[in-house]
Amino acid sequence: MSDAAAVEVKNLVKDFKGAFNGGKVHAVKGVSLRIAPGEVYGLIGPNGSGKSTTMKAVLGLVAPTSGSCSIFGRNSRKVDSRMEVGFLPENPYFYKHLTAAETVRFYGKLCGMGGRKLKERIEELLELVGLQDARNRRLKGFSKGMLQRIGLAQAMVQDPRLLVLDEPTAGVDPMGSREIRDLILELKNRGITVFLCSHLLEQVQQICDRVGIIHQGVLVNEGRLDDLISLENRTELILENASADLLEQIQSLVEVTHESKVVSSGNARTTLEDLFLRETKSKKERKRVSK
Amino acid sequence: MSRPASTSFFSPRRVLIIAQSTVTQLVRMKIFYFLAPVALLFLGMQYFDQIWYNGPEVIQPEQELRMHKNICLGTMMLFGCLFAVVSTALLIPGDIEDRTLYTILCKPVPRLDYLVGKLLGVMAVIFIAMLVMDVLMVVTLHYRTEAKLVEATEYMKNIGYPEREIEAGRADIASQGPTLILQFGVMSHFLKASVLAAVALLISTFSTSTLFTIATSAMIWVIGEFQSIARDGLFHDPLLGDMPTLAERIVGTLISLVFPDFQLFSSISDAAARAENILPVDMAQLGGLAALYIGIYVVLSWFVFSDKEF
Repeated sequence: MSDAAAVEVKNLVKDFKGAFNGGKVHAVKGVSLRIAPGEVYGLIGPNGSGKSTTMKAVLGLVAPTSGSCSIFGRNSRKVDSRMEVGFLPENPYFYKHLTAAETVRFYGKLCGMGGRKLKERIEELLELVGLQDARNRRLKGFSKGMLQRIGLAQAMVQDPRLLVLDEPTAGVDPMGSREIRDLILELKNRGITVFLCSHLLEQVQQICDRVGIIHQGVLVNEGRLDDLISLENRTELILENASADLLEQIQSLVEVTHESKVVSSGNARTTLEDLFLRETKSKKERKRVSK
Repeated sequence: MSRPASTSFFSPRRVLIIAQSTVTQLVRMKIFYFLAPVALLFLGMQYFDQIWYNGPEVIQPEQELRMHKNICLGTMMLFGCLFAVVSTALLIPGDIEDRTLYTILCKPVPRLDYLVGKLLGVMAVIFIAMLVMDVLMVVTLHYRTEAKLVEATEYMKNIGYPEREIEAGRADIASQGPTLILQFGVMSHFLKASVLAAVALLISTFSTSTLFTIATSAMIWVIGEFQSIARDGLFHDPLLGDMPTLAERIVGTLISLVFPDFQLFSSISDAAARAENILPVDMAQLGGLAALYIGIYVVLSWFVFSDKEF
């Protein structure tokens, strides 16, 4: 069992009936993928490409037309496999009448947890997702970002070995998005396998070990992220405090070789996300100091 | 973390957790607010005195008490059944629309546990609502019976009834007050509402909208109320005294399996309102029939729901 892949999808085919029996809709056409334990795997693709259907098949929410899906060696269609998995759907809605703590307690109890262990786990998770101050607030007053966080808490309640996250940062502000990203990296360090779908390619690039690109139901490319995005015939050199003279010398050296050329040069750039976080954090800090 | 080797096929603990959550959900949806107009109606009936005459100057307070019971039991039946249909119809389609169901079924929860938990939750809330209405009915009926006893005794004494006849008259009035038999009537309504909740559960497993579930369940409710009359009319002519054929009996049985025969429940309730003797064995049989209906609808719901894709 320990050698089993965290997720194994073999030749998955999923067809749906068309409207008014107007033929079949081929949502997934023979997708195969394997996620090793402890890996962060990102499945990316445009809308309607078959990402969510693949994810639902892995979770046992849809039955494959042919092929199979397993979680740690257990058939996804069997209830047993779900002890090992936590799922955060896209734009999650939970019972609005429950408070944050009650929500995590409910899902914990469904996993057979109880007593002191569950109580401690609730506190631990609410702290982890930054909702300890909202623990007694009902979910109907929660923002999208807060719902996403409580979704993560419920997904992790039984300490699963696999987390399946469908657009985990959808509708979350950049700061919350960064926090969720850091949380995923922390989970990765703890050895938890993460299988995520996202439209935010930059984020996928930052956190995933391996990526699969799905288009029109077919896995068109898959592999280690570094291998997929590196351009073999190009080299990046980032200098700090380089003078104009030095840059000129480098340019001349390159020109001498005749085989290489400088494609572009200029100031290195930060990301918009980093800029936003730096600015908003410093404003918050300034406010705190002035108080 | 130690991990269980397998998840049990059916877990009463998980069922209880889902039922408990359903009760909390319905309570926090403030559905018990409907009890306020019911309470007002029951209390208001205290002040709605109607003098019944049977011949010259003979007062019939028993009929007034029977009317009180009929209104109370009718209200309980109406609210219980409406509540069973609406709340069950709201729950499962609501969970699918909100995608709350995804997160529940992605935990080690067999679909049967989910369905039974939801149904038990609705039944628990119906039970609580019935209990509250029952207490209201018993209290108001008690005070009304006491008032009628005083009123009738005084009246009979004034017109010179002998002591023995006064006692007999008092006993007749008291028999129309709150009795154990009246509780059988309440119980029959609870069982009827529970069967109706199971019907709504079945419909909600394949329906795509709350409205469709409510409309279809309400239609089955109406058919269930009148199916025994329809069966008699179609297959058996009491004037001619002919017996139904085998084919008619099979069709009749199939109809009564698909559409629960709610007339059986109503007949117990009507007998309770008239303070007729109802044997505990009759109640046990009715309970058994309700359990059979609920069992059939839950198994059918499971059959539909177990392969449902989301």
